[in-house]
Amino acid sequence: MAFNSLTYLGFLFVVVIVYWLFPAGLRRALVLAASVVFYASWNVVFLWVPLAVATVVFLCGRLIQANPSQARKWLWTGIGIVLALLTAFKYRVFLIANLSHIGLELDSTSFSTASSLIFPVGISFYTFEAIAYLIDVRQGRVKMPGFVDLCLFFFFWPNILSGPILRARELMPQLRFEKVFEPRFAFEGLDRIVWGLVQKNVIANVLGIWVDRGFGGQSWGGLSTVDGWFLAIAFGLQIYFDFAGYTNLAIGTARLVGVQLPENFRQPYHAASPADFWNRWHMTLSRWIRDYLFFPINARWKGASLPLYLSLIGVMALVGLWHGAGWGFLLWGAMHGVYLSVYRMYEGLRGGGSSAKDGGISAGIWRLATLVAVIAGWVPFRAPSLAKAGSILGAMFARFTWRLEYGEFFYEITLAVTLFCAIEPLILRALEEADEEAGASGLSMFRIVVRPVAYLFGLTLFLLFDQNHSQFIYSQF
Amino acid sequence: MLPDSEMLRNAARAAAAELTGRGVKDSQKLVSSGLIDSLAVLKLISMLEKKLNIVIPAETLQPEDFDDVALIVETIERVGRAGK
Repeated sequence: MAFNSLTYLGFLFVVVIVYWLFPAGLRRALVLAASVVFYASWNVVFLWVPLAVATVVFLCGRLIQANPSQARKWLWTGIGIVLALLTAFKYRVFLIANLSHIGLELDSTSFSTASSLIFPVGISFYTFEAIAYLIDVRQGRVKMPGFVDLCLFFFFWPNILSGPILRARELMPQLRFEKVFEPRFAFEGLDRIVWGLVQKNVIANVLGIWVDRGFGGQSWGGLSTVDGWFLAIAFGLQIYFDFAGYTNLAIGTARLVGVQLPENFRQPYHAASPADFWNRWHMTLSRWIRDYLFFPINARWKGASLPLYLSLIGVMALVGLWHGAGWGFLLWGAMHGVYLSVYRMYEGLRGGGSSAKDGGISAGIWRLATLVAVIAGWVPFRAPSLAKAGSILGAMFARFTWRLEYGEFFYEITLAVTLFCAIEPLILRALEEADEEAGASGLSMFRIVVRPVAYLFGLTLFLLFDQNHSQFIYSQF
Repeated sequence: MLPDSEMLRNAARAAAAELTGRGVKDSQKLVSSGLIDSLAVLKLISMLEKKLNIVIPAETLQPEDFDDVALIVETIERVGRAGK
């Protein structure tokens, strides 16, 4: 039951209506049942996996709390078991293939392999939530709840597939479902859902048709510089609108039952530096990396330079692998580690401070360099092999030719979506201002005319493009 | 022995102001607002350790434990130890 399907919208409609009709005491049971049905609709065989993760966290968390002297042992036992599950499902084939060739299988595919393997959806996401939960219990940030509460946390259907990656302390208090219905829950939820459907089914899927042709084409060896750039930019736009679309559907779904999930995107292609990019792209993953990997590692080394650069590259390479078992993902992550290290070195030479935010020529250069570096990084992430990625990057940066070999529509749609991305902050600002004009509960032209018309237009577009049922990119990770 | 709360608060205000290059209100969010990043938090910890002659086990903490002046004081009182 994909978020961008009529089946899901029907399911959501029924669950939300019943939810608000139910007394608060019965809502938890309803949400848990709906979440289990939703997860089982993907593959009922894997229903035991999030249940097993919840059980491990419950048992190890209880043992951590009960035996402070052995807390470390139970923390690592819990982390070890959930990571073993993740490895068994997601990395087994990759590890066996590469170990048997002693690392020589460098041409193994990344994107295509990730999408062809069958594993429990969302496992990468709820594994990270489980690790965070155990560490938070160890650090005394959260108390262990009852087993049903924990199951509700891990199964909560709006975010189980692909996040946002949540902390127990931000979701757990909301899972009592005691709020009284407010019209803004419906407006805020529907805004996100309609826009998410358009982002995914209209923008991302249309770009995806051309991106699939380009990256899967046989003539990649003779790709021109212009086509290489257009292809990389088109994929950068596709993955942004795909994942931001999914996230809007997740946040909107949760909002319909009165739950507030954290944001995951903030116009990432407007980033002022590589560090700023990760404050805007997949923000809940960045937060997880910062809190549970990067900060503890560098705290041990007191922020010393060499460990800092090595940890940036190492941690980001792992983040790449987290996306999927493939060398392309690893390279993408390592590239971002290098970008971040170079930026930190530059900041160090300047004597600290946020150079990219200060304005002036250097800020402009950093902004442009970040955009170019991020777009270049998408090539190994998406290319079916490292050889093909190398060839496309060669066309972009070394072998300059100017032929246009795709249909005109490809260039037009890519330019149009790029322009939209450029003015997206202005559009969002104007919409927010229009909505705020009437105050918290008043009526305005925006609320009684523009919003319903926009919903109708968005849903019509969604239905027109509904024949293309491609899954969300991040649901493959 | 750890310094008293008022001394911790003054040291936290001074360190935050030095890092951000401007005066910081006690309620102002430092990390979640993007005013300082995780590396700056490590610098903040190091500055506080030197100023107050204390030890802060940063590897068991998270950047948002230092999100505002009140939280910084609360965190040090919870986990800080007197230095040698």
